[in-house]
Amino acid sequence: MVGIGYRKDFAETFLAGTALNPDFIEVAPENWMGIGGYWKKQFAKVLERYPLFVHGLSLSVGSPDELDFDFLRKVKAFLKETGAVLYSEHLSYAKCDNAHLYDLLPIPFTGDAVKHVSERIRTVQDLLEQKIAIEIVSYYTPVAPELSEIQFIRSVLEEADCELLLDVNNVFVNGFNHRYDAAAFIEQLPAERVRYIHMAGHEKVSDTLIIDTHGEAIIDPVYELFAHTLRQLNRDVPVLLERDYNIPELGELQAEMDRLTSIKKLIRKEKEYAFN
Amino acid sequence: MLLTDTTRQHQSALASYCRTGNLAVIPGIHPENIREYRRLVYNVVEDILRNAYPLAADFLPREEWEALVNEFFSRHSCQSPQVWYMPKEFYKYLAGNDHPVFEKYPILPDLLLFEWTETELFMMEDKAADYSISGDLLFSKLVLNPEHLVLAFDFPVHLKNARQISGTDKGKYYVAAHRDAEGEVIFTDCSAALARILGYLAEKPQTILELFHRFEQEYRLPLNEEQQQHIIRFLQNAYQHQLISGFKN
Repeated sequence: MVGIGYRKDFAETFLAGTALNPDFIEVAPENWMGIGGYWKKQFAKVLERYPLFVHGLSLSVGSPDELDFDFLRKVKAFLKETGAVLYSEHLSYAKCDNAHLYDLLPIPFTGDAVKHVSERIRTVQDLLEQKIAIEIVSYYTPVAPELSEIQFIRSVLEEADCELLLDVNNVFVNGFNHRYDAAAFIEQLPAERVRYIHMAGHEKVSDTLIIDTHGEAIIDPVYELFAHTLRQLNRDVPVLLERDYNIPELGELQAEMDRLTSIKKLIRKEKEYAFN
Repeated sequence: MLLTDTTRQHQSALASYCRTGNLAVIPGIHPENIREYRRLVYNVVEDILRNAYPLAADFLPREEWEALVNEFFSRHSCQSPQVWYMPKEFYKYLAGNDHPVFEKYPILPDLLLFEWTETELFMMEDKAADYSISGDLLFSKLVLNPEHLVLAFDFPVHLKNARQISGTDKGKYYVAAHRDAEGEVIFTDCSAALARILGYLAEKPQTILELFHRFEQEYRLPLNEEQQQHIIRFLQNAYQHQLISGFKN
């Protein structure tokens, strides 16, 4: 399955035409919960056609603040109402000192943060009565690190007993920004926990920094890293194309999705060949 | 709490830097790249506010707009996990603090409220109304569209370009705003008396005759033929544009 991040920017064209044919769509619940009118009607139409994956922005599992249980209950209701296939969130924090920041800040890679975040993810899973997938975020600076990034992520996944949303572009971005081998990093991740994959474009702003913009097409090295990722997995995993800014003609997004599909098929054939 | 005070302080320092631009000592950070977080967070907030308040953002000099955005985000703790709702907090922050910018630009409170009302009505959850489409406008009980708001402005921000409004425009202006079946938000200029009539209808469905009686009793003022016809024409127009949804079953 290859899906697309459903955005209001292209909702009308998407529903009216045939240029884009995803297997599923993904939305941020924050943008669609508790709304009515025009967008609710449009959302109802798209839900009739496509399975829904839900990818949260504001739960802030890495926050030092208390979890927002009222918000979490609303998310739970939204997941139920929409029949969502999966709920994922970010391994980051977006709220601190009782203030939302509306962006994803990096959690310090420390042992106490591992325990804190893991406990919160377990609480979320208990309340939602389902496992959630946690996304490795792109980051531009470490914050008071005591552990390596891979140690931190592996520990959280293990202690929280949650699933992994593997954003291949984020690993590429992080590998570039923090000078490590992205392919080797992916090999060290627990493949059995990978539930979902994100793919996106980015912007290289200097010789030493890439920003994860979701505003460009996926570049070849990220496609290659995607293929490498699939070779680590022994099963089919849904893949999402994210495009949040600088939205091109929908045909261009479909071409990117087609390329992702063909890479998936290619890797599947490789595995079948190796197995036979 | 499993998080140590030290880790908590580091997280707080990064968040505070993103909000204020004031960077405390945080071990291990990349001094150049940390700036990206401040830039990205500010851009998100400014972009959301500019999209919610395009008229106000255009009306204010750029430096003053940016200063307001900065001040709001650094001093106010945003509470909504839904970013589309955050602009309401911006309006409430300025209005609640009786901000000096309102003294300098007296039309700004109305302009912000006007713009926020459009977003709020456009996005608000659907409200069910019990009504029938068959009835007689003159004799049936009228059901007001529950997806509406009645606003009172000191300046005609709904009628004129903000830059063309001057002190001589100051007065009392009433506007009914509602969402139609297509989801479009419609603003209807009205008088104080018509706003009051809508207030009666918001309480419960009533016939036009009942509305006349209610008004006359409240204001101890008999409505003459011309005034009654004016109200009827307003209600007919309101019905055509779905400010009145229909008739009580």
